[in-house]
Amino acid sequence: MENLHIDQHISRRYNEELEDLRNKVMIMGGMVEKQCKNALKALIKGDSSLAESVATSDYRINSLEVEIDAECTEILARRQPAASDLRMILTVIKTITDLERIGDEAEKIGRFALKLANSHEPQSYYSDLHHLGTHVIEMLHDSLDAFARMDVDSAVKVAGRDPEIDLEFEALTRMLITHMMEDPREVKNVLRLNWCARSLERIGDHSSNVCEYVIYLVKGHDVRHISLEDIQDTYSKNK
Amino acid sequence: MDTVSMRKEHNIPGESAVMDKQLADKPLEGIVENLRECDVRESKKVHQYETIGKPFTDNARISARDVNVYYGDKQAIIDASLDIGSNEVLAMIGPSGCGKSTFLRCINRMNDIIPICRVEGSITLDGEDIYGSDMDTVLLRARVGMVFQKPNPFPKSIYENVAYGPRIHGLAHNKAEMDDIVEKSLRRASLFDEVKDQLDKPGTGLSGGQQQRLCIARAIAVSPEVILMDEPCSALDPIATARIEELIDELKEKYTIAIVTHSMQQAARVSQRTAYFHLGKIIEVGDTREIFTTPQHELTENYITGRFG
Repeated sequence: MENLHIDQHISRRYNEELEDLRNKVMIMGGMVEKQCKNALKALIKGDSSLAESVATSDYRINSLEVEIDAECTEILARRQPAASDLRMILTVIKTITDLERIGDEAEKIGRFALKLANSHEPQSYYSDLHHLGTHVIEMLHDSLDAFARMDVDSAVKVAGRDPEIDLEFEALTRMLITHMMEDPREVKNVLRLNWCARSLERIGDHSSNVCEYVIYLVKGHDVRHISLEDIQDTYSKNK
Repeated sequence: MDTVSMRKEHNIPGESAVMDKQLADKPLEGIVENLRECDVRESKKVHQYETIGKPFTDNARISARDVNVYYGDKQAIIDASLDIGSNEVLAMIGPSGCGKSTFLRCINRMNDIIPICRVEGSITLDGEDIYGSDMDTVLLRARVGMVFQKPNPFPKSIYENVAYGPRIHGLAHNKAEMDDIVEKSLRRASLFDEVKDQLDKPGTGLSGGQQQRLCIARAIAVSPEVILMDEPCSALDPIATARIEELIDELKEKYTIAIVTHSMQQAARVSQRTAYFHLGKIIEVGDTREIFTTPQHELTENYITGRFG
């Protein structure tokens, strides 16, 4: 069951449909990742034109989500997939929902970045924000990678990074609160920055969800709402 | 079932050669490695393969243990052990020539009529040995009824089709009792309302789906404990199929049902447990829910998802 062999159906057309579906999810993943990278860059560099392009190009991700959903519906209706094929379709449907939400978060960061760009003064906490963002984007990248390879081991590892991101976000929030207290005139902008940090933290959560779907796809066990320790105990090869 | 077609089903050298080639192309674990040797049924190692999943139940009505079936010197079933629980529907699936129909026919000794067929091991019905010397096959087949792939009503009236069994088994003492049995059986097969005004018309004049329900009514008229179905819907349209499936679901309240089907969706819809057969072995048995979402064995997975494994 470890290897899903989606190219080994007797119906070659079915192979193509599943392969096409998987490719589209990867394309969507790539688009989402790019949006996140640009959003972070626009935020840190105060690049208003880049921020604007992030804030206005989310529609492409949305339309791809709709397209993939329609394809899944068609495969369910026409092929009545079972076992690993069925899990594949369910995984795709759930994964694209999370990817679309990540796209929304990137869009939000883009919009805040646009507002912040006008009053841009690089602050010390920008480097912490940059660090959090890089960390999150790396996690998103690796979760997409785990999906592409259907690699349970790395999915478990990537999901395991989520608590670090939560901690980083906590620390950053505390620092931003301090700044707000020091300089009440900056409260509005610092709050905006906090919203961006919050969005980054959410992207980490969604990436971690994608990893859980990968475990479901390969192992057939639903690991949502199970503690990270239990997941690691059960599925990690080298604990 | 005549001898020739039975022999044909289980003696297809071409097919098994193709399978062996496919298996040789893609080495798998366990049984498959053993199956790669040119004739599976002669391989010693294949006997060591243990069915995975849950072949046994606590409330077994039929218990088969270490059943081996041979047609002449060809082995069609290898060490099959399986329980069929009370009031459950067991679906048997697998590629052609895997032994599922043979296994089904063993349960009411339909294979007795094939001279070259030999059955070893034990099959019990409520603890009684089906192959015991004191077992009367006529009574056995009343207790274990069968519905075949093609509807095969007797060339008699609808009424007589259903009344025939109860009459030869002496289940009715007068016309009123017989009328009662016929009506109840037809009702239970959800056919009565459609045919109540034409009970004296020939059964062969009904539509395919109605004929199949007539055959089910005929099988349940003698109050069996177990009903065996060998692809009961393969000749029917989707609406008639849905009716039969609905009926199977109702019948399981009263009877134990084993169904052989080539339609995976049908097995998924009607059964509580599913057994997957492959080249004479029972590879995997389990809750239908699990077999169709997370099968354990790669061969089961490949079969139900339409892959060439």
